[in-house]
Amino acid sequence: MKGLEKVNLKEGLNLYYIPTEKFKTSTMSICIHRQLSEEDATKNALLPYVLRRGCEKFPNAQAIAQYLESLYGAVFDCGINKKGEDQIIYFTFEVVNDEYIPEDRGLLQKIIEFSKCIIFNPVTENQCFKKEYVEQEKNKLKDLIEGLINNKVTYATERCFQEMCKGEKFGTYELGSAKDLEAIDEKNLYEHYKSIIKSSPIDIFITGTADAGQVTELVKNLYDIEFNREVIYPTTEIIAQVKKQKNIVEELDVAQGKLSLGFRTKISPREKDYYSLIVYNGILGGGPHSKLFNNVREKLSLAYYVFSRLEKFKGLMLISSGIEVQNYKKTLDEILLQMEEIKKGNISDYEYQSTINSSITSVNSLKDNSFYMIDYYLGQLVGGTDDSFEDLIVKISSVQKEDVISVAQKIELDTIYFLKNKNK
Amino acid sequence: MELQQYNHSILKETLYHSVDKSGLNVYVLPKKGYSKSYAIFATHYGSIDSKFVMPGEDKETEVPDGIAHFLEHKLFEQKEGNVFDQFSRLGSSANAFTSFTTTAYLFSSTSKFYENLDILLNFVQNPYFTDESVQKERGIIGQEIRMYDDEPNWRVFFNFLGALYHHHPVKKDIAGTIESISKINKEILYKCYNTFYHPANMILFVVGEVEPDKIIRHVDKNIVAKESPQGEIKRIYPEEPTTVYKQKVEQNLSVSLPLFQMGFKDIDIGYGGIALLKKDIVTRIILEMIIGKSTSLYQSLYEQGLINDTFQTDFNAEINYGFTIFGGESIHPEKVQQEIMHEINRLQRDGLDKAVFDRIKKVIIGRFLRQFNNIDRLANNFVANLFKDINLFDYIKTYQSITFDDIQQRFTKHFKNDNMAISIIKPHETN
Repeated sequence: MKGLEKVNLKEGLNLYYIPTEKFKTSTMSICIHRQLSEEDATKNALLPYVLRRGCEKFPNAQAIAQYLESLYGAVFDCGINKKGEDQIIYFTFEVVNDEYIPEDRGLLQKIIEFSKCIIFNPVTENQCFKKEYVEQEKNKLKDLIEGLINNKVTYATERCFQEMCKGEKFGTYELGSAKDLEAIDEKNLYEHYKSIIKSSPIDIFITGTADAGQVTELVKNLYDIEFNREVIYPTTEIIAQVKKQKNIVEELDVAQGKLSLGFRTKISPREKDYYSLIVYNGILGGGPHSKLFNNVREKLSLAYYVFSRLEKFKGLMLISSGIEVQNYKKTLDEILLQMEEIKKGNISDYEYQSTINSSITSVNSLKDNSFYMIDYYLGQLVGGTDDSFEDLIVKISSVQKEDVISVAQKIELDTIYFLKNKNK
Repeated sequence: MELQQYNHSILKETLYHSVDKSGLNVYVLPKKGYSKSYAIFATHYGSIDSKFVMPGEDKETEVPDGIAHFLEHKLFEQKEGNVFDQFSRLGSSANAFTSFTTTAYLFSSTSKFYENLDILLNFVQNPYFTDESVQKERGIIGQEIRMYDDEPNWRVFFNFLGALYHHHPVKKDIAGTIESISKINKEILYKCYNTFYHPANMILFVVGEVEPDKIIRHVDKNIVAKESPQGEIKRIYPEEPTTVYKQKVEQNLSVSLPLFQMGFKDIDIGYGGIALLKKDIVTRIILEMIIGKSTSLYQSLYEQGLINDTFQTDFNAEINYGFTIFGGESIHPEKVQQEIMHEINRLQRDGLDKAVFDRIKKVIIGRFLRQFNNIDRLANNFVANLFKDINLFDYIKTYQSITFDDIQQRFTKHFKNDNMAISIIKPHETN
């Protein structure tokens, strides 16, 4: 792929180097791919948080924090990234480039060494993780899982997906469940860790100004993993049919109602139709030029926010809006009416052209942020596509109105989720 | 218009500055290799400016809360229609925001930058308000206010400001209330517009792969010099006692865990410029020294399960107000408050550690450098500081001048028990 240098270090372990001069920092992301499943989701989600508590060289969080501070506030983050039914355990790092701190060199090398220690040399006691760390992080993860409810916008979209994909792998929350945390201890989590580290595909991304050859050598020597024979990428199932439309109403003490609509597009990112779907989504609810913005918000004054977005890996589309509870029917009718308009071919040149142009701008803008670039390439790997930024722009630009109308016929409403006030 | 050029040898950046004949300050920071260019056109007018004397008048004007934000929404509507349309056609993404002190209009584009710039400069100079469009906007902003009513992080923050301040308008919600925006009409909007949208009260800041000369030419062509130079806008802020209004406020919302914000009211205020920048950096260093991730206090609170990753600290440094803030989710906010106060008192008694100071200084410079990666945030931050008479090109120089003594002095002056307040959001009682 253009803009990206791939080095296959061994079966299941790849390094992707993205040379770029324009940033003041270099970044590194390590992504461990796991098939999303109800059984393992919670364990996988807990792992990065336990690992970041200490490694052989820096045995506790305070030692880690002090070390990162001495590296000019190097950034270290970790967690879970869900792409379709791929549950990705990620670790990210960022350090200032040498040219800005002449008195202290080699921060990238130091952080790569640090990353290896964190992921592969955790603190252990009697062939287990440290009990204290596991127990504390279990409580933290429980807070995080239960804290989904704190942001009502996210809550209403996640709940819609969960209800819609009940019984499918995708219906599992990316951080697992509070209930499943109970059975996890320092012993079974360590066993799980040992098994997944040998059996999961690992992608390492590095951006920056460093010499590609040197970086490769360094990573190759440090990341000397003994893999099992078979290392396979997770896959995502795209459901081609809505069996029965679902209606879910949930009540909470809220001021504003939240309406989420979940749709099946039945389109995989590997199909040609996927690019038409991008344009369809843009016309429907992808910004201030979209039908939803101009009708639900600007014309009818029903909402402050209303948008549609794609979950491309699973072939889903979601529409989300915050409204007065009593405007539920009015809003729902208007949204469905706008979708009907596209189906009938009522797409103005303005809507079409603005969507194409703004999609190009969004794709180009990704190149101005190291982590967005990495996420884009990661998305290509997970989705099984091989589009460079330029390829994607060409493919979006060639979508015609007829293509959009044609994909519009495929999209089917699966779940209507409404979060409303208890008293109403 | 003369173009001044400033080179920064450590940052390896160049900043261009020019003052247009209209009084508008124009800044350009060229960034090589970026796909996106970003322009922000901002006025020194925010939610706290609801009482003022218009230049040329002698009586005070008081306007409903939320008007700066309402004006921000309404400027997008032009006689020919919504200005979003024009940006959208070019594929650029336009937006705006209102803060306590600033209202800003902005766009980012990856092509046709100068066409976009012309649109930006023109629509902000051409207000067009009708009774009908004001009425329509009330519905949209009403939903924005309702959305924030359910947002616990927003509520806990404004409740905190409500506890800290007796009268200062920073305690009021930026968007106002459903009630206050019902009083807004087109006459009041025009009055505020005419007072605060004079080019002399505004800044244009551009970042990206652009040519400074060409930007100046577009400004020259598009900015209409007002007939008269603007007289001084007298902004009236109520007399604010140095004490906090309340030590503690609480509210119940649908949350899984309690949420809190606590902090200290700054009483060393009334100045901008390098002195304010220095105070800002010094205070942030102290916050890291008290409860940054490498401190024993942070680790102990974390290990006891009293704080989690949501915990953050910040300092809000403005000319006529300021506050430090600590907060996040906690099963027991009062206990966290107690431990933080206990540690502050201990450090004030035993003294701060110079070795920690030296390490934290490295963090601060790394953080500053990182900011230059993100051109949107960089431009926004430059603008916010310029309205405080701070040029971020002076940051490193100011940072280098900070001594351990500066730290110790500010530490004893600012972090006082009497200047502290806490705001807590608790889950609803379960039946």
